[in-house]
Amino acid sequence: MGSMFRSEEVALVQLFLPTAAAYTCVSRLGELGLVEFRDLNASVSAFQRRFVVDVRRCEELEKTFTFLQEEVQRAGLVLPPPEGRLPAPPPRDLLRIQEETERLAQELRDVRGNQQALRVQLHQLQLHAAVLGQGHSPQLAATHTYGASERTPLLQAPGGPHQDLRVNFVAGAVEPHKAPALERLLWRACRGFLIASFRELERPLEHPVTGEPATWMTFLISYWGEQIGQKIRKITDCFHCHIFPFLEQEEARRAALQQQSQELQEVLGETERFLSQVLGRVQQLLPPAQVQVRKMKAVYLALNQCSMSTTHKCLIAETWCAARDLPALQEALRDSSMEEGVSAVAHRIPSRDMPPTLIRTNRFTASFQGIVDAYGVGRYQEVNPAPYTIVTFPFLFAVMFGDVGHGLLMFLFALAMVLAENRPAMKAAQNEIWQTFFGGRYLLLLMGLFSVYTGFIYNECFSRASSIFPSGWSVAAMANQSGWSDAFLAQHTMLTLDPNVTGVFLGPYPFGIDPIWSLAANHLSFLNSFKMKMSVILGVVHMAFGVVLGVFNHMHFGQRHRLLLETLPELTFLLGLFGYLVFLVIYKWLRVSATNAASAPSILIHFINMFLFSHSPTNRPLYPRQEVVQAMLVVLALAMVPVLLLGTPLHLLHRHRRRRRRPTGRKQEDKAGLLGLPDASVNCWGSDEEKAGGLEDEQEAEEPTVNVQVESFHRRTQPVHRHCSQETCLSSIPRRSLGPLAVGHRQPLTQFLSL
Amino acid sequence: VRVRRPARLTTLGARLLRMRSALPSRGPENLQRPPLGPASRLGIPRPAMTAHSFALPVIIFTTFWGLIGIAGPWFVPKGPNRGVIITMLVATAVCCYLFWLIAILAQLNPLFGPQLKNETIWYVRFLWE
Repeated sequence: MGSMFRSEEVALVQLFLPTAAAYTCVSRLGELGLVEFRDLNASVSAFQRRFVVDVRRCEELEKTFTFLQEEVQRAGLVLPPPEGRLPAPPPRDLLRIQEETERLAQELRDVRGNQQALRVQLHQLQLHAAVLGQGHSPQLAATHTYGASERTPLLQAPGGPHQDLRVNFVAGAVEPHKAPALERLLWRACRGFLIASFRELERPLEHPVTGEPATWMTFLISYWGEQIGQKIRKITDCFHCHIFPFLEQEEARRAALQQQSQELQEVLGETERFLSQVLGRVQQLLPPAQVQVRKMKAVYLALNQCSMSTTHKCLIAETWCAARDLPALQEALRDSSMEEGVSAVAHRIPSRDMPPTLIRTNRFTASFQGIVDAYGVGRYQEVNPAPYTIVTFPFLFAVMFGDVGHGLLMFLFALAMVLAENRPAMKAAQNEIWQTFFGGRYLLLLMGLFSVYTGFIYNECFSRASSIFPSGWSVAAMANQSGWSDAFLAQHTMLTLDPNVTGVFLGPYPFGIDPIWSLAANHLSFLNSFKMKMSVILGVVHMAFGVVLGVFNHMHFGQRHRLLLETLPELTFLLGLFGYLVFLVIYKWLRVSATNAASAPSILIHFINMFLFSHSPTNRPLYPRQEVVQAMLVVLALAMVPVLLLGTPLHLLHRHRRRRRRPTGRKQEDKAGLLGLPDASVNCWGSDEEKAGGLEDEQEAEEPTVNVQVESFHRRTQPVHRHCSQETCLSSIPRRSLGPLAVGHRQPLTQFLSL
Repeated sequence: VRVRRPARLTTLGARLLRMRSALPSRGPENLQRPPLGPASRLGIPRPAMTAHSFALPVIIFTTFWGLIGIAGPWFVPKGPNRGVIITMLVATAVCCYLFWLIAILAQLNPLFGPQLKNETIWYVRFLWE
């Protein structure tokens, strides 16, 4: 049945990589996505590993990349996705990439700094020009009128000794929300000694840093007295106002300012053009560099997992590789090490640990395998339930959904997604909800298709029934035979058709539920009974199928005793109790008809009495000797329970004891043989949990606990899951480009998940 | 406690009653009508009541799903997906056939009939037969 029936055979392969070619070999293996590395340096911390320096350099580069990426995003540009095949660059190229990125980052920082400074300057100039340009005419007019000589006092000083009263000006700009507060404080502090006029600018100016437009308020304060001047200066400092020197010769000043600001704007324009150039270079350089550096880091992380041989000439790596891919692996190693003039070797070694589970899927089966894996990844070479779920999941959904119209809509929606799946717009969509739907498009397609079928059976199209065939119930026959005159009908709102009357029930509807039921007030009574019985039948069939699948596991792993001690009791229990219930249901459907409907036996009562060993006199038996049969079945089923709980543990205990009683010499020999294996895995003393339950004939195996067996009963329909591998690198073919990422992934060694 | 009022004729019922009185009176002689109802005098096309057999649908559908589930796998072309396609065919055939079978078995010997409103009875009686 292809590779989906059970997971593929996976071998433990030991690689000898000469140090000169180690990097290229691992990079090549990563591109192909053939192997999964085992961590041979688990006891060594990350900082003490061999290639930690290189990993560190890659991480520094990645930091610079992040900075560049942020700058690009700040400028509102988008990084294009990387194109083409980008293998990990050789180590000497790292220096080049590093230099380029450093240079770009430095340039970017400089240009940004310059731009900031220029903008601040421009802002100042603009403010200054605006302040000067504001017509604070009344004050100036006042000075001109009265100020023929600047020495003329404005006030008639009563004392007369104030000879040096001169009008001074403070001109500046303040942020608009601070203006009223400034005005108030000035008045309170220097009341009577100043005249302040505030004017708002006509057009807003951009803030140099944030870029927000703000309309500044310019003010012109005329005051006299030195101390007042100091007070005013302090107050305006406190409010962070920009103060500009105010002179009477405005026009020249303003012209100079205009020119300055124009020049500044030109320079700013140039700076921004240069900035966009730099950003353009970043856009070109960054995406491929990011991918390359990530791959390089992954290669070094993988190399960190290898151990050094004693002669320091070779790196030894232990990898899991699919047995089917061994030739490809050897060829890849040969090719990549040939360039350096050395040769890398790969050979298979026996392993005591359970290999990871590998199931190759295509885009259709991937979603179903994903659903099954969400419940738990199966053990190595266990039967895979995914191919059956391709049909049973949508079918069970359809049994619950069951509408032709809605099913058709779902089918068409999924069909649209499937037909357009190769368009780049589909894959590039960022919306998570859409991605969920798109990822499950094949599932939705099948669900819609089955829903159309079950909709026909339930006779529901947008919740309305249709008469494809004529109904099997005749109202006229009932009316005629029961004397339903119009007067009679006018008196009774609800009347029931009686199948006992001749001619009323003409036979079962050939395809689905009869349309008369959609017109009936008691349609739920019929439909509920029908659907409940249907659910029981479908459920029992599925469970029995699951138990039967377990047979394949027992045969494959050579555990024949489990056939007798587990499968047989399970089938007996299931079929003896719930299979018998299915039998009762079908028997009643076939044998009990409307003629004795009033005294029809209730299956529910029979089933309850079966377990309680009691008897209901009003409930007549379905067939003679029913009570005897039921009692026998219950006793048999209950007798199976201790067999299930204790059968396999006792058998294994017995076997264990029998082995122990063998002469000890044999035991020593086996032990020595195990340790003396020349090709033994360097890391063969893996987790105990992984070995327990894997192979039955371990020398020092502990007897499995009863707990495991109890769980195993409940787990019959689902594969036992132990996490030996997380996303093996071959889980789906379209993920080739991310192969190196999987290569560098560290596999958790001990994960024993129990249900 | 709700007091049951006698049913009153709605406009639909009244219309049907008028239609009914236009037809010749139906007496007991109508009981000898064969299950295949004659064409209505009013010329309204409607499905005739037929006696449904049980054997014929069983044969037809068993053959149909049997072809899909048992004969179909032989015609699946060789390729990497052969196993998956065969699994899908067999599982579909089994599930769909079982579902249809349950539906028809449940209706084979009904223990009670549909409970209809009097208007429905009028309507169905005149327009379906």
